[in-house]
Amino acid sequence: MIESVICTGCGCLCDDLDVTIEGDRVIEVANVCLWGVNKFIATKKFHSKKDRRRILAPQSRRKGRAFDISYDAALEEAGNILVQARRPLVYGLTNNGSWAQEAALRLARRWHARLEPGDLAFMAPYYEALARHGLYWAPLEEIRDEADTILFWGANPIHSCPRHVVRYSVFSRGRFTERGAEERQIAAVDIYPTETAKFCKPYIQIDPGQELELLQGLIAQLIEGQEPPKRVKGTKKLAKLLSEANFGAIFVGRGVSYGPARKLWEGLARLVVWLNTRVPFSLFPLASDFNSVGLYHLLLRETGSPYAPDFGASSGLSSHPTPVDWREVDALLVTGADLFWFLTEEQVQDLKRRQVPIMVLSPFANRTTAKAQVVFPVALSGIETEEVAYRMDGLPVGLQKLISSPFRPDHQVLADLEQILAGSSGG
Amino acid sequence: MRLKIAQGRLYDPAQGWDGEVGDLYIEGERIVAPLAEVDLVIDAQGQLVLAGGIDLRGQVATYGLNMLRLWGWLPSPREIGELYAGLGYTHVHEPFLTLYTAKYVHRELAALPIVDTSASLAVNLRDLDKWLKSPEQLGEVEQNIQFLVKQTRALNVRIIEPYVRFRQDYYAHRNIATENLLELLTRLAQGQNSTLTLEASPELLRQPLPDPPAFHLAALGPALTEAELVQAALNHLDQGGSADLGLMQPAGYESWPNLPVQINMGFFRPLDLCPSPSQDAALRALELALQYQGANLAFSGAGPLLAPVSGYARMFSWLTDPSARLQDWGAELGDRAYSLADWINMTRTLPARLLGFRDRGHLGIGARADLAIYDLPKNTDKIDLSQYLGRCRTLLKAGNLVIDNFNLINPEIARATYYLQTGGEASPWLGEMCQYRSFRLENLWVHDHLGGDWVGVQ
Repeated sequence: MIESVICTGCGCLCDDLDVTIEGDRVIEVANVCLWGVNKFIATKKFHSKKDRRRILAPQSRRKGRAFDISYDAALEEAGNILVQARRPLVYGLTNNGSWAQEAALRLARRWHARLEPGDLAFMAPYYEALARHGLYWAPLEEIRDEADTILFWGANPIHSCPRHVVRYSVFSRGRFTERGAEERQIAAVDIYPTETAKFCKPYIQIDPGQELELLQGLIAQLIEGQEPPKRVKGTKKLAKLLSEANFGAIFVGRGVSYGPARKLWEGLARLVVWLNTRVPFSLFPLASDFNSVGLYHLLLRETGSPYAPDFGASSGLSSHPTPVDWREVDALLVTGADLFWFLTEEQVQDLKRRQVPIMVLSPFANRTTAKAQVVFPVALSGIETEEVAYRMDGLPVGLQKLISSPFRPDHQVLADLEQILAGSSGG
Repeated sequence: MRLKIAQGRLYDPAQGWDGEVGDLYIEGERIVAPLAEVDLVIDAQGQLVLAGGIDLRGQVATYGLNMLRLWGWLPSPREIGELYAGLGYTHVHEPFLTLYTAKYVHRELAALPIVDTSASLAVNLRDLDKWLKSPEQLGEVEQNIQFLVKQTRALNVRIIEPYVRFRQDYYAHRNIATENLLELLTRLAQGQNSTLTLEASPELLRQPLPDPPAFHLAALGPALTEAELVQAALNHLDQGGSADLGLMQPAGYESWPNLPVQINMGFFRPLDLCPSPSQDAALRALELALQYQGANLAFSGAGPLLAPVSGYARMFSWLTDPSARLQDWGAELGDRAYSLADWINMTRTLPARLLGFRDRGHLGIGARADLAIYDLPKNTDKIDLSQYLGRCRTLLKAGNLVIDNFNLINPEIARATYYLQTGGEASPWLGEMCQYRSFRLENLWVHDHLGGDWVGVQ
């Protein structure tokens, strides 16, 4: 048994898994959630009895059918796509380790491509709000120790990062919160009842479209000391809870992306600035992909911006907070994401009609591998290969190799692809 | 590779060299006795030959600092590395590495090209309160700190808040006042036989230190909030204590980004990465530098916003040239001008000593061949040294050419992170001290692939 293994199920990167290995197989995992089982035992999300299909060899698609090919043949085919592309896109990366993200950034630079994080629509408005209002940040370590007030906004951690509530935010016992949930006020705002609602008091269920009115009501009541123009039910309770906090955190989930995301982030950032004039308070995006935060750190460090860098821009490099216009893209490399899960039917049909070639790096078969021209199977980070990942509070951890694998790590495949481009451009 | 640096004007306070013309020989990565034959001769006739610079407090990898790039307030790691190299620096020391941000800091340091790096473990005394209350357990406190330095791969220890203070009223009985804690810290420093670094604050400067030579006060500038604190800092230096300046830029405050960027790392006060500038404190830091005549004051800036690396050259000129002060501060502030020897001491000799690098900061035989060679006119009276000292003509790192004729020719030169191999083992209560951590202990420590390349020093 290997103890204290880090789980790459979600952005929590829980580091207390105990994994039993037999030969080259994981046979048992302790302290794991459904997301983690999904990675360690290779089962489908929320269906732990159903296996996920591993891709066992590189594949190429001809006349709609996938054929197994050698790694070199797959590289050659991908190389043809790489050199012919005029408006390429590297997409995903939020479920890749940091070494793979660094390799993808180098590839995008050399390919004159745009690099689009899989959760840009969620994270870009957050960074825009910070740019305008500033940053108050506390790592999960401090939130667990001190926070007595937690608000989940458009977030269902039980679904997106299941052990968050146990390890960091609700039931966890920190230095000054030794009685766990008994010492905390937990609230949530959402448009439908979720599992999270069961331990939140107040749980404020609003109608779709009311998020902004609720937030404006809070701002009016707390910051401006006025009666809100339109009061959404629960405003007063929530205002009271926030104003009585000694140390708080607002965890924001992907739910905000389905509403007026920019305005919501903007209002939440403004609220947090005001709360910080009284007590420590943090605004915290609940990034559910296991290394989403690592990607934004990398982009900030290397490009000076957290937005999607475009190395094909006439000015050399530009960064975009808004998602790509798929109609512009003429070649796609997808890694660390299942793109076709998120695209609209119209966008899928457009890519199909224009025969946009797609290359995919993935350990498992998914909707995107089913449409790809070239598929590279890769080793699972943190199980079959070493990597580095950043927890959702930006603290990096080293991921171990637990078992051997016939597959290459994704950063190696990306580096090989970059070498093809280097060779074709003579540098 | 054997090199000869020919006919340079050698400056090294440690050897007593003050511009003597001579040759230096390098074999491999070390300065050696004269060689009969060499592979390459670098003509340094008329040029200033110094040891590579060491930034004693270069805030380049602090947890959260990356976010400053969101506003364009911090250059990329590559640019920072190149700026340091251009100034003639070969080593940067990050001041803020904590128990759980160690891995973050080391990842950021590893992204910095050209220059070597190291970091201070910023110990939160709140984590040790229970044992600090029992003086008989001081030995174990020391033992655990040494263990944590080893496991976080830090080079030394820094105390940011020399007190224990809880926000929670029900923990008030566990608070420890600065006065009491300084006694304990003095004993700790004496036990380790090394100086202990304390981040300066107005509160600390008002407190007489029991044994000044046992302490180094870091970043004096922002702490000089009142005029009488300048005298307190001078007293500390005169009594044998050391300090670094924490200089700040004087201009541009009207366009200062008035945005909060605060990181809560478990200390009583959050780390403020965008502090409100005080022109008075900035001026006092400079006045202090000009009043002090000894050798215990090192150069440092007060963080990436108040003192960006790109502004270091101009800061050097405030020390060496009254006219530069007149130009930037509107007053000459007296006619004191640092000699080259003074400036070399504060940017090389003293930082190397304070970080415990016996083979850096000087040009003696056996020293590592980190050399910065600058153009300099023969008569240095009343000239703007920043034009010369801010741009080195030649930079050698471990005997390898990095900058040649002002051009960066080797940006991928090997760099390393230095850490102290204390050999310390944990005492039984380390587990209790870390019981609330959100990481299991084995995942808290810094492993090889989270930074590097690593060089352990004894």
